[in-house]
Amino acid sequence: MSDGIKRRDFLKVVGVGGAGATVAGCSTGDVERLIPYVVPPEEITPGVATWYASTCGECASGCGIRVRTREGRAVMIEGNPDHPVSRGGLCSRGVSALQGLYNPDRVATPLRASGDGFEAITWDEALALLAERLGAGGRSLFLTGRKGSTEAALLNDFVEAVGGDRVIHDPLDDPALRRAVEIAFGVAALPRYDIAAADLLVSFGADFLETWLSPVRFAADFAEMRSVDHGEKGRFVFVGPRLSLTGQNADEWIPARAGSEAHVALALAGELVRRGGDAGPYSEMVSRYTLEDAAREAGIEAEALLALADRFAEGSALALGPGFAGHHGGATAANLAVLILNAAAGSLGRTLHIDEVPEAEASSYGAMANAITAMNGGAYGVAVVSGTNPAYSLPPVSGFRDAFEAIPFKVAFATTLDETAVLADLVLPDAHPLESWGDSDATPGTYAVRQPVMRPLPMYDSRPMTDVLLEMARTLGHEGFEAATFHEHLRAANAAWVEEFGADMGITGDPDALWREQLRNGWSSYEVELPQVTALQAPATAVDFGPPALRGEGDFTLFVHPSPRFGDGTHSNRPWLQELPDPVSKVMWQSWVEMNPATAERLGLRTGHMVNVATEHGTVELRVWAYPGIREDTLAIAMGGGHTDYGQFANGNGVNPMALLPVAVDGTSGTLALVSTRATIDATGAWRRLATTEGSSDQDDRNVAPAVALSALGHAAAAESHDAHGQVRELNEAGGFQRVETEGRAEDFPLPGSDFGEYGEDHPRWAMAIDLDKCNGCGACVTACQAENNIPWVGENQALMGREMHWLRLERYYETVDASHSGPLDIRFLPMLCQHCNNAPCEPVCPVFAAYHTPDGLNAQAYNRCVGTRYCANNCPYKVRVFNWYRYTSENIPEPMNWQFNPDVTVRDNGVMEKCTFCVQRIREAGNRAALEGREVGDGEVRPACGTVCPSRAITFGNIKDHESRVAELSHDERSYRVLDAFINTQPAVHYLKKVTHHDVDDGGH
Amino acid sequence: MPDARMKRLWPATLLGALAVLLTVVLIGFRDAPEGGSAAQVADADSDAESQYQPIQFPHDAHAGQFTIPCQYCHFSAERSVDAGIPPMATCMGCHTEGRVEGRTDEARAEIAKVREYNAAGTPIPWKRIYKVVDHVKFPHMRHVAAGVTCQTCHGEVQEMGVLEEMAPEAGDLRMGWCVSCHIERGASRDCTVCHY
Repeated sequence: MSDGIKRRDFLKVVGVGGAGATVAGCSTGDVERLIPYVVPPEEITPGVATWYASTCGECASGCGIRVRTREGRAVMIEGNPDHPVSRGGLCSRGVSALQGLYNPDRVATPLRASGDGFEAITWDEALALLAERLGAGGRSLFLTGRKGSTEAALLNDFVEAVGGDRVIHDPLDDPALRRAVEIAFGVAALPRYDIAAADLLVSFGADFLETWLSPVRFAADFAEMRSVDHGEKGRFVFVGPRLSLTGQNADEWIPARAGSEAHVALALAGELVRRGGDAGPYSEMVSRYTLEDAAREAGIEAEALLALADRFAEGSALALGPGFAGHHGGATAANLAVLILNAAAGSLGRTLHIDEVPEAEASSYGAMANAITAMNGGAYGVAVVSGTNPAYSLPPVSGFRDAFEAIPFKVAFATTLDETAVLADLVLPDAHPLESWGDSDATPGTYAVRQPVMRPLPMYDSRPMTDVLLEMARTLGHEGFEAATFHEHLRAANAAWVEEFGADMGITGDPDALWREQLRNGWSSYEVELPQVTALQAPATAVDFGPPALRGEGDFTLFVHPSPRFGDGTHSNRPWLQELPDPVSKVMWQSWVEMNPATAERLGLRTGHMVNVATEHGTVELRVWAYPGIREDTLAIAMGGGHTDYGQFANGNGVNPMALLPVAVDGTSGTLALVSTRATIDATGAWRRLATTEGSSDQDDRNVAPAVALSALGHAAAAESHDAHGQVRELNEAGGFQRVETEGRAEDFPLPGSDFGEYGEDHPRWAMAIDLDKCNGCGACVTACQAENNIPWVGENQALMGREMHWLRLERYYETVDASHSGPLDIRFLPMLCQHCNNAPCEPVCPVFAAYHTPDGLNAQAYNRCVGTRYCANNCPYKVRVFNWYRYTSENIPEPMNWQFNPDVTVRDNGVMEKCTFCVQRIREAGNRAALEGREVGDGEVRPACGTVCPSRAITFGNIKDHESRVAELSHDERSYRVLDAFINTQPAVHYLKKVTHHDVDDGGH
Repeated sequence: MPDARMKRLWPATLLGALAVLLTVVLIGFRDAPEGGSAAQVADADSDAESQYQPIQFPHDAHAGQFTIPCQYCHFSAERSVDAGIPPMATCMGCHTEGRVEGRTDEARAEIAKVREYNAAGTPIPWKRIYKVVDHVKFPHMRHVAAGVTCQTCHGEVQEMGVLEEMAPEAGDLRMGWCVSCHIERGASRDCTVCHY
């Protein structure tokens, strides 16, 4: 550079160019059109968001949502804070419903099979064809997912009217549990768990924080149970071969072999019975089981089980599961054993409730297997598919595909084509749940309506299946389907229900007013006292509690489990979820096989090595991910990868592990076994990089996510002093590091005498507190942040280069993880976002003053000033700044996914650095609102997107200068600390509250 | 060798940067209107028709002569970031058959067009005159509440037969112009007040 331009001059030239680009100032010269309303909708004010309360339609849990719409488009989904099921939380899958709604792969018109593909036809043609085939005689088969109550009733009536059978297929259902409850208590229902009321929670493998039953509700309960808000902290013990996300949250891990759940649970129950517990008619049976035998079978230490039995005696306990980890040949027996353990521990009526109400929407593979046989026998003339994808989610050896293809006429109601819908002869574009009516009664005493939050997207000529069924029934001349639309049907059903039961359930008032109230709140409650089952009953037939048989040869037990991101694969065609790092492995876009590091070492493998995992039924090739949270004799692969006909974001990413599974069924309940076969591993010799956000799973000695022992609480602050840290002392002594003369409290900034230009000092100081004792690492905040802030996804190739754009990521650090012994488990989660440092390293290095501090304490990024030097990212110790290497927003995001863009947030183009803004648009909006009303912004009025979905309510935001605010209170909590602050004096505005552990914490000698 | 490469590379980069600069400046000039609609018709937009409003709406008659308040039509200015474009229903409030018919033939012809649009149920595709670029947020309600008149940013609309943008080349509607007013009035001039 000796001969010419210096870097600084070059920047000046570019800077002038930038000025030229903004020559039009705040206005533009483009010709644009302003399209007014013909008749203005009364609920819409341009530029002001309209919110609708509704019910999430992404799975059968029925969480309450609030959908933010702008000018008639849904742009954001948050949890409904008052909802009795989800209590303000939502999962990533729920937030990503927006990408289902605006999915570019949605079916645009009715399609008729033609040659190898489809041809578009009109709805009139499609309905005429459907009426002709349904009316032609012959039985019809309806394959569906689990539906909301009124929709299910309509569907069942329709199936009966046209003469058919309905088979419910939902891989995320737990038929084994339902059957076990029926055996133990005489009612085929799922139990109601009160996790919050438990002092000891034991999960026999159930992934209740991610996929099992109602994860968001459980996550809220779990946070309540284990938080130290009330001075006590529940204990969570995970028993099972693999730590799922749920398992990673445990205080203690008993790495029992897959299939040993029943034996372990019965032995514990036996021990409790010997100590005076009561297992009713099972007492004698369980007392024959000993902890020693169980420990031997499970491959664990008897002492661990003895200690666990002691804990059961200490307080109110609850055993869960075994969930999907127990979906093997003895699934019902394992579930029954856990129920017996609960009874012996006295949980019944305290933490475990059995309502005497059988559940209608129950699935089982048994029914599906019968249907496959019947299909092959030519029993059906017509098949109708809706909300389920068995051609993908069943093992290929089940023969579903061939049997289904043999049916003469197949109809699919589908929003997008999938592996089952592509086999259909007629595809009818279904409306998305956000565009259509429905309802849910997910918990007793609550009724929730799902209302459309916007008009159906104009480019997709979709109709709700429910409307089509009503019309079809009338066309075919069936009685009882008078309503013209499902909306009318739903209202009539609701009115009839209120008429009949209202008086008994404390529902009074004008039905129309009640309905409006219902729509406004998203749910309504009524009084109900369900009869409870309070005692075990003797089994009608003998139950075999022996270990399930595993098929095939090989050194490893294969465990195929639902993915926390994709469930059974239903949610795979959503780029937000594809790029959401898996909560356990932190892998994006790809599939991997989990293997214990010791196993990997024995086989000469490392993370990233390609291996063939083979069973008798198939082989898949995928990357190894060495994971200390899995037993050495177990391999685990998540569902959701390897789609072939689902859409542009799902197809070809990863592998579908169902190809490895035999059709093994728990005969008692008809549960398809996910743990049913052994597998072998063959290295291919290749190594490929994993697209992962995991920098390090080890904190080294930085103590980024410290913890405090429960016993040390109350005097924790005295016990640890950050100033005493050796490295800091060293730096101080060397003169290379001097602390500023302040206590460094966030509310102290700006420091007296510091140069803050013409700004006054009467500004708020925005700050955040994150309770790491509540955070369970689910990642819902990441997706919510992405939805709110127009954050693009970058795709697998860019992700491999570490260019993912998330403003918020979840760090996961292993402290104590040992699959070879039972004992304490300590895995720490840390949501890492821009810390909005008072003393921010990124700010002084920006040559164009794009990164700077606002008077209200935000570390701001002025996009239109940024010239992309990336110095700020280089100087950020928290790695929270991300750079637009390409035009991700314009080139990666196809129509109509860009309809989801939040109009309040600038869409960034290439060459621009960006990062968490503390949702400044929400701060400004609240400020504008408050200013118009002549008041201050109230505490809790500003909620960043991450905090509006957190199922654990771990995130608190507010003005830390207001000493009454919640965040100020938390920042003074004895558990409060700030990441790396003691090392580098950044003075972050994000205060973390240390995780609290039951075991003593080795603080690395600090 | 790296040095030699750098020597070749830097002039090339400089040239590239200058080329970008030149293009940007040219585009800037092209966009600057030279005293009215004639220059705008010459704009690159091939659809010359699109340069004119679909209906010659006289702001001077409505806001000037009849002193209809701005917010009668731009209904959300005091409560939203957007001022609001009047729906057809607002036009028809006065211009239904038999009510305000217009006093000149031109006016009657234009009002007839409004009725045609309304009868067809199609909105009027107004040409947009004012638009802040995407990275600028301009909350109308805060400015209205602070007592800034509409004319401050939009000019003497009540005297304009054909609405024209205030002259950007004279400095109006540029960031410096915004900021000078913010300074005068003691409003915040923090970047994130408008840019986020």
